[in-house]
Amino acid sequence: MNTDRLLQKEIKSEHQQQAGESIIDLHQMMKTYETPSGPFTALKDINLRILSGEFVAVVGKSGSGKTTLLNVLAGIDRPTNGTISINGTRVDSLSESQLAEWRGRTIGLVFQFFQLLPTLTIAENVMLPMDFVEAIPAAKRRTRALELLESVGIADQADKLPTALSGGQQQRAAIARALANDPPILMADEPTGNLDEATRTSVLDLFAKLNADGRTIIVVTHERDISSYTDRQVTLVDGRIVHAAKR
Amino acid sequence: MTPILFVKLLRDLRGTWARIVLMVLALSITLVVFSAVLYIWGISAREIPRDYLSTNPASATISIEEGPDIDQMMTIRDEARQQPGIIDVALRTQFKVLIQAEDGAWSPYPLQIFVSASDDPMRMEAFKVERGSWPPAVGEILVDRYSLDLLKLEVGETIVVQAPNGKPAPLRISGVVHNAGITPAFQEQTGHAYMSADSLTSLDMPIQLNALKIQVADLPDLTVPSRDREVIVAAARDLAGWLGRNYGLAVDEIQVPTPYTHPHQGQMDSLMLGLFAFGMAGLLLSAILVATMLNGLFAQQIPQIGIMKAIGARSGRVLQLYMLMTLTIAAASTIFAIFPGILFSRALAPEILTLLGIAAESLTAPWWMYVVVVAAGIGIPLLFALAPLVKTGRTTVREALDYRGVDRQGDNAARFDAGLGRLPSLDRTVLMAFRNIFRRRARFLLSIGLLASAGAVFIAGVSTMASLQSFLDREKELRRWDVEVQLAEPDQVPAIALADLVAEIPNVTQVETWSIIQTSVIPSGEQFSVTRTYPDQGHGSISVTVVPPDSSLVDPPPIQSGRWLRPDETGAIVISNARLPEELAGVHSGDIIQLEIGESLTSWQVVGTAEPVGGRGGIFITQKGFEAATDMSQPNLLRIVTDNHDEQTRASVAQAANRVLTDAGYAVRTAESVSRAQAVSVGHMLPLILVFLSLSIGISVVGFAGLASTMSTNVLERTREFGVMSAIGASASRVRRLVLLEGIFTAAVSCVVAVIPAPLLTAALIGNLSLPVDTPFQISALGVVVWIILVVLGAVLATLAAASQASRLTVREALAYL
Repeated sequence: MNTDRLLQKEIKSEHQQQAGESIIDLHQMMKTYETPSGPFTALKDINLRILSGEFVAVVGKSGSGKTTLLNVLAGIDRPTNGTISINGTRVDSLSESQLAEWRGRTIGLVFQFFQLLPTLTIAENVMLPMDFVEAIPAAKRRTRALELLESVGIADQADKLPTALSGGQQQRAAIARALANDPPILMADEPTGNLDEATRTSVLDLFAKLNADGRTIIVVTHERDISSYTDRQVTLVDGRIVHAAKR
Repeated sequence: MTPILFVKLLRDLRGTWARIVLMVLALSITLVVFSAVLYIWGISAREIPRDYLSTNPASATISIEEGPDIDQMMTIRDEARQQPGIIDVALRTQFKVLIQAEDGAWSPYPLQIFVSASDDPMRMEAFKVERGSWPPAVGEILVDRYSLDLLKLEVGETIVVQAPNGKPAPLRISGVVHNAGITPAFQEQTGHAYMSADSLTSLDMPIQLNALKIQVADLPDLTVPSRDREVIVAAARDLAGWLGRNYGLAVDEIQVPTPYTHPHQGQMDSLMLGLFAFGMAGLLLSAILVATMLNGLFAQQIPQIGIMKAIGARSGRVLQLYMLMTLTIAAASTIFAIFPGILFSRALAPEILTLLGIAAESLTAPWWMYVVVVAAGIGIPLLFALAPLVKTGRTTVREALDYRGVDRQGDNAARFDAGLGRLPSLDRTVLMAFRNIFRRRARFLLSIGLLASAGAVFIAGVSTMASLQSFLDREKELRRWDVEVQLAEPDQVPAIALADLVAEIPNVTQVETWSIIQTSVIPSGEQFSVTRTYPDQGHGSISVTVVPPDSSLVDPPPIQSGRWLRPDETGAIVISNARLPEELAGVHSGDIIQLEIGESLTSWQVVGTAEPVGGRGGIFITQKGFEAATDMSQPNLLRIVTDNHDEQTRASVAQAANRVLTDAGYAVRTAESVSRAQAVSVGHMLPLILVFLSLSIGISVVGFAGLASTMSTNVLERTREFGVMSAIGASASRVRRLVLLEGIFTAAVSCVVAVIPAPLLTAALIGNLSLPVDTPFQISALGVVVWIILVVLGAVLATLAAASQASRLTVREALAYL
């Protein structure tokens, strides 16, 4: 663990001690899918509490329910049973439109394959969530987009189309987009799964920096050696949380 | 709509420009077809009545048997004008002559000459003088514009005609007229000309005008002609009674055509129905096309919709974006279609109107039709895109992220696929192509619907033409004679003399003498016969055909009800329902009807209804029945069989028969090859056939554009899949073959589907167009084969671009595709 990361963790620890309150609460949550061969329960009896400012890794084998858990947290999937409360909002009771708006304000999402809109430039991709949520005045949106791109180190790529960027640069752009509306929570699904080792490290460092600034981060990953970056790991086996201990 | 979303919209449109162009093109083509049809309808609906009514048609014609001299008739005319309910009265007559060609032969086309009193102001049944002036000088005629081409005449030339008394006489053509009340010469194969009564002397005819043309008002003080045929019939009957009581005139017939209705209105209505049906079919196809293309376009955007929603876009925003995209496409299509539609309508409307003898004054469609086209051009794509739009807008993030361009298959489909996979010799690419066409079920069904609709319209159009051709062939087969000679009036010379005269002519192998006489149905208790005959004396008239007892030229026709005539029976008639006028529409076997034949009022029992006899409809009676009822026994028609059935022999025999009979003192009305009757039938059907053909082709083009769009969408949507295929070793040619096969399979399935509506549409066309009622129903095998070839070739062409696009994708491009 390098010095910068140690420093970030110390700062964050102070933040958590000050906050100490949960930002995500899952109670008896269950998710069942209807499949041609009958119902399949992807998540069972999930009880999970995540504090504000925590950096949590959700780990487990393929098919253990990691992505389903993230999708439920982001409002992409709805729970079959149980309650989800995020940043004071009962997510399970919101309509699709309310979810979209809530997501825009509260959650920043980062995908494994970056998922930048191919016909918009990098800056426009970052400005798009601001357009949707309208929390930032229109005149300031481009400036903010450039600042965010600067913060992830790709300001010089602002006016290029996504196809002109490398995988690492696209993932950085996707992180900048996730931060567009300054959401309190950042969720990422296998954000480093499609990157080489050097780029992977720089992206994780970026997450650590954002976490040190007080942002709650939840990362779904296969990688167990991410533990040096996170506060705790939630391990899923066959849809159940088997381990949610602090590091 | 945020500025960035607007930028995205523009770039998305630019990024898929080829498909957008295809979509706009296909929509534009449909709109051009639809708008042209609509405009033609609007123009025709206005111009036909305008031009026809500009002739100020008579409400009725009272035909007098033996006309008094012209001076007395003028006195009668003036008196008649004072009768209650009569607006105006004019004196007229008409007759047919033959024209002598340069080689001395008589033209096969008769010239019908309409005669008016020289002081006639031509207020009624008027015509427009285009060259020359009215009235023409004595010995001169004005010829209808359409007759010049048919009869090969020129203004200024002097022609020799065979007058009704059989003698040749010169007439000079001094001008040209247009009369919208008379069907064009090329349709009836009869020329039309106009002369003043003074010129009758040039033809060695007495100056007699035996027809009173009257216009009738609903009430005595009104000056607008009545639209109520019953009012007109009542007034004409009153006037006919008045003529008998006051002047001792015997009325031969009262002719009351349908008021305010062009003689070919039925044909026009059928044409309009055909146009409307095709216009609607075009619109339906357009709607299917829009749904197919936009569905594809939206499907391609589903992953992006997922991302937008994941970062905060609400359904309304997404809906707004794609609605604007739809609007842009619809508006562009409408803009591109509007002027070609107008140009097409302006080019086609005069052609269609000319076929009916109508000269258009204006080719501008009613203003509201332009509004309808713009509304349809923008509204219909929006309306039909609404379902895919809303569905797309409501796509959840989860659905969008899970989207792979494949519908979940049911167990049956899975079993079917598994069964196919077990076929040992089936090529894997063929198997895959066949499975792939069912992957996007909704889009597949829309493509099939589009192509099958085009196929059904094409097959129905060709089948209708084939049915008509089959009717003409059967008519030709039933007509076993080659030449018909119509005498001016039944003569008192024994039939055998007539037949002997003609039998001497070289190339003649058989002659039969027949009688065909104009008749009218007289309702029980009425004194006068009232027909629906138009001024040309053809449309709306009914004829009685006397069938010779030992005729070998006709077989008893197929009976529809009752039975055929027995050779020796009297008082019995069989009615052919071909082109049956309204007076006989409700008559059934067993009914008794009264007919006026010659000057006799006769009573007949209907013993059967049948298909036409020898190509003619109307009423059929036996020779014995004819003689018993009318005291007439002599024929007025000769049917001649020639040894060679070619046109040259027929023409020379017709000429010779005319000459021989005229030399023997008979007045010959017409002597012509039977081909002319066929030309009349074809002349009536030609407008419909032309319209069907052009519209079928237009709709087919739209079908292929739809397939091209669908295939292009399929390829885009499966970009990643093609990347994977390439990555595991599929060559470019294999990918191309796969996509081409998918297009061909889709086209093949559409052919199977088209088989269902095609017979129904054919039956609807045959039933609703003014084809002869006994036109046989048949599906053209040639049409089906041609369509299968066309659709497969079209599918290959339509899929070629998409196939080549798929085969050119690199693995890197394909896997990076969002």
